Amino acid sequence: MASIQDFSGYQPTWCPGCGNWGIGMAIKKALVELNYSPDQVVVVFGIGCSGNMNDFLNAYGLHSLHGRALPNAIGIKLANHKLPVLAVVGDGDCYGEGGNHFIHACRGNHDITVIVHDNRVYGLTTGQSAPTAPKGYRSKSTPLGLIEAPVNPLALALTSGATFVAQGFAGDLNHLVLILKEAITHKGFSLVNVLQPCVTFNKVNTYQYYLQRVYKLEKDYQKDNFKLALEKAFEVNEEKFPLGVIYQVKRPCYHESLPQISSLPLVEKKRFLEYDSLIKEFI
Amino acid sequence: MTFTWKIGGEAGFGIMTTGLLFSKIASRLGYYILDYVEYPSLVRGGHNAYEVCVSDKEVTALKKDIDVLVCLNEETFYKHKNRLTSQSLVLYDKEEFDFNDNFKKVDVPFKKILTDLKGQTVMKNTIALGASISILGGKIEVLLDLIAEQFKKKGDEIVRFNQQFAIAGYEEVKKNYSFLIKNFLIEKEEKKEKLVVSGNEAFSLGAVLADCRLYAAYPMTPSSSVLHTLASWQEKTGIIVRHAEDEIAVINTALGASFAGVRAAVGTSGGGFSLMVESLSFAGVAEIPVVVFLAQRPGPATGMPTWTEQGDLLFAVFSGHGEFPKIVLAPGDQKEMIKLTLKAFNLADIYQTPVIVVSDMYLSEGHKSVERDWVDKIVREYQIRRGKINLSYKENSQKLEIFLRYKITEDGISEKILPGTPGYFYQENSYEHLEDGHTTEDFKERTKQVDKRNRKIGAYLSQNFQLPNFYGQSDASIIFISWGSTKGAVLLAQKELEKKGIKTGFYHFNHIYPLDKEKVSKLLKKDNKRYLLVENNALGQFGKILAMETGLDFEEKILRYDGRPITVEEIIEKI
Repeated sequence: MASIQDFSGYQPTWCPGCGNWGIGMAIKKALVELNYSPDQVVVVFGIGCSGNMNDFLNAYGLHSLHGRALPNAIGIKLANHKLPVLAVVGDGDCYGEGGNHFIHACRGNHDITVIVHDNRVYGLTTGQSAPTAPKGYRSKSTPLGLIEAPVNPLALALTSGATFVAQGFAGDLNHLVLILKEAITHKGFSLVNVLQPCVTFNKVNTYQYYLQRVYKLEKDYQKDNFKLALEKAFEVNEEKFPLGVIYQVKRPCYHESLPQISSLPLVEKKRFLEYDSLIKEFI
Repeated sequence: MTFTWKIGGEAGFGIMTTGLLFSKIASRLGYYILDYVEYPSLVRGGHNAYEVCVSDKEVTALKKDIDVLVCLNEETFYKHKNRLTSQSLVLYDKEEFDFNDNFKKVDVPFKKILTDLKGQTVMKNTIALGASISILGGKIEVLLDLIAEQFKKKGDEIVRFNQQFAIAGYEEVKKNYSFLIKNFLIEKEEKKEKLVVSGNEAFSLGAVLADCRLYAAYPMTPSSSVLHTLASWQEKTGIIVRHAEDEIAVINTALGASFAGVRAAVGTSGGGFSLMVESLSFAGVAEIPVVVFLAQRPGPATGMPTWTEQGDLLFAVFSGHGEFPKIVLAPGDQKEMIKLTLKAFNLADIYQTPVIVVSDMYLSEGHKSVERDWVDKIVREYQIRRGKINLSYKENSQKLEIFLRYKITEDGISEKILPGTPGYFYQENSYEHLEDGHTTEDFKERTKQVDKRNRKIGAYLSQNFQLPNFYGQSDASIIFISWGSTKGAVLLAQKELEKKGIKTGFYHFNHIYPLDKEKVSKLLKKDNKRYLLVENNALGQFGKILAMETGLDFEEKILRYDGRPITVEEIIEKI
């Protein structure tokens, strides 16, 4: 059985106290507890402080472009659906640059787990406002205050057809591990939006800020109630942050709907050789 | 004997299907064809036309005169009458319009037949095909067979209902115009089985033969029929086709699949390719094989979606930021498309880098005859070469080990094992990286990896690059240079010039970039020969590449950039 150590790559370069440490550790713990070892998992990384986890997490990794991790993850899953596929991405990465991919990955119910580091700023490029930053947020790119309304990741996922929508907090590692394990085991598209303080650039959404406003969903919370999930998703407008799986339903995932790969993964199939039947179409 | 049959009518009334059926009829009767479609970027309301050039020998280019013009509406006649001669036959319905010009009239009562047989407007096409076969001396049975194949799923009654329109058109002409009947389509005694394939279909066939297992695309004219063809083959061949949300998702889906070990390709036109190029650069640095099918149309921007141009060559060659190896191939016709597509997938795997197969609307959507035995031979001889992509790397049951995915090698190519191989792990990285894939900014390591990747260019040039094909007389003093789909027009121009006693030579490039500078310079050394560059663009883009690589500047150019393919006549005119 693999250990946390086996999953640990190079020494992380994140700022001391950054929420990424918690998320990074939670991912490793979840994988260990699910009995995976680094050679059995594929992780696609976006670009940002979150994506820099590529060097700190041992796995078959693909460090993608900014915004493009999701279509890469989809392609990997289509080619070899036996492998669990995770995407480690940031808020700007996934909801800004890659926003279109996010919507369509939800729609397709592609069996990938998307772990979004939501710190409401662009950390790696020194603190500009992210799509999840609140209206009026002042940053280097919005010195007069952000004009746009924020993206609501949970509501966007829900209304786009995601079959698993969850929210975690980088400051509650054990709870995050539980959520991640459920997300990775879920058959279909799973979103884990992780609230994460950026200790260097975000002086508003700090650990203290979140600690006062997060709460865990009750044990008897109805995960399959879409309307209730939407209500939970919109609590962010009142600065309340539910933690846990806010929505989960069963629906066939994309690769399960492809008869071509019903018996073997695409990469393991025998080569197609009956060309005659194709050639006849042109006679 | 070579003749041109052309049909025109309002868009949305089945002209495309009808044209293709005519090509198949001629092919089944033993002839060679080349066809060409003209249509506006509209679903309804514009003018559609389809012409088929038929001959008993290979047809490489369209001819100027139209021998048979089928007018499904009046507009067709006026749009194309400038290409008619006094010997041309015009099939039309007198009830709809009439004309006084000196062409041979064949009045086909489309309207009356439709009313008599209670047919829908679209069945005019079937009447037209029956009438065309009749006036050309062909066998109606071939058309009846094709109709039966087309409608067999709908039952015998529907088949017979449709066939009667063909028969009516056929009999009508036979009865009233026996004095005009030609012997152009008399069934050949010796027939070679031939395929009627478009450039896009040739790419699709090549992709499946090359074991491409994932194709992603977003619809874009003129590349879309690759998406349709491969999508329709999914259940049969097992290929997965993903119509993604945009071209960025398209190429990244393919890169993901390729990372996971399957051959993957994407297809698009200039606009979609523009969206892909950042990811092309990702493929370059992360060393992920991918085949990109680029079917050009006139740009810039939305341009003229349904017309042809070779305007994206320089863009393809220089696509993607940063410096990385990529291979650009440009087939000259449907056969070359099959061959080079097969090769493209091998090259992408061997060099672990993007390979771009460049087409254009003229090649992509036009059909040409390809002999069945030629295809069978290609299929038999093709070998899948995946280079250093190791599908069955031995498992490691000892301690977990990081695999050196970017190991420095002499030829610049590193071994790749499949993600999921037990006992190992590695990453492929869009950042500059060390041999183990870890991100680096170290100047020495950076230089090593850049050099490693660029060494692949040398390996490609020495092992897989091919010099241009030469056609014509080696002692000729007039030499044409062209690339891609302009091949056929130059070949026919050469024949016509030869008839006039003018000797010419022709270098046709299909391995476009990178080029072997020394070999190409040697070949095109300017003695006292007159060189003419033939391109379907405004700037002579391939000429610029030759100048950049060899220092040779070709001043005489035959260029066309009005959206139409270069014709034989305009080449001859310049000599």
